[in-house]
Amino acid sequence: MNRDELLRALRALEVQGVEYALIGATAMGFHGLIRATEAVDLVIRATPDNVARLPRALQAAYPDDPNVEDIRAEDLLGDHPAVRYYPLNGEIFFRHPDPTRRRRKLRDDRGPNLRAEGVRVRLITPRALYHIKKASVRPLDQRDAAALRERFQLGDD
Amino acid sequence: MNSAPVRAGVGDAFERFVRHCARYRKIARRRYPAGVFKFRSLEEAQAAREAESARAVSDQGEE
Repeated sequence: MNRDELLRALRALEVQGVEYALIGATAMGFHGLIRATEAVDLVIRATPDNVARLPRALQAAYPDDPNVEDIRAEDLLGDHPAVRYYPLNGEIFFRHPDPTRRRRKLRDDRGPNLRAEGVRVRLITPRALYHIKKASVRPLDQRDAAALRERFQLGDD
Repeated sequence: MNSAPVRAGVGDAFERFVRHCARYRKIARRRYPAGVFKFRSLEEAQAAREAESARAVSDQGEE
């Protein structure tokens, strides 16, 4: 996903008032740990009102893509809590909070709100990101977890 | 290429991040299927991502 498209998608989330936290390698980038990615990963607050805002935001960001109409709040609130959407450039992945961490509220994991080109960006904390990466079986995520642990002096507590 | 060591630095992280990703796309742009894919669990989504990433890399090699 290129710079303009990333900002357009994040701006649409802000305009629609979607409660989310950026996770994944894009969040790492905002935290100053740079590695290449084409994916924008988001965790969204799983309330009906909030989930209903997400399709509206993506339809606003991608008005010319008929596929975006297939993103439905009822799916996210029902049997499909994880959705990957491929626009023309890159990918957007969004999901509910990890079930193993549901006892923690999303706001507990939120890091600083940043601004990029005037767009508010809601980030997950390095510690929460570390735990997500560490729980993944992907070797790439394990490397990310190691980088986060070293950079932010994180333990396993 | 995204398996290269993660770099840490100072300065405007967002600008450095998007520049780095732009370089990545120029050198090794991947093609993904258009559309929306829905998963019943995070594990299912991760497995699909792994498979799709492998396919995208394979497609690069055939070009």
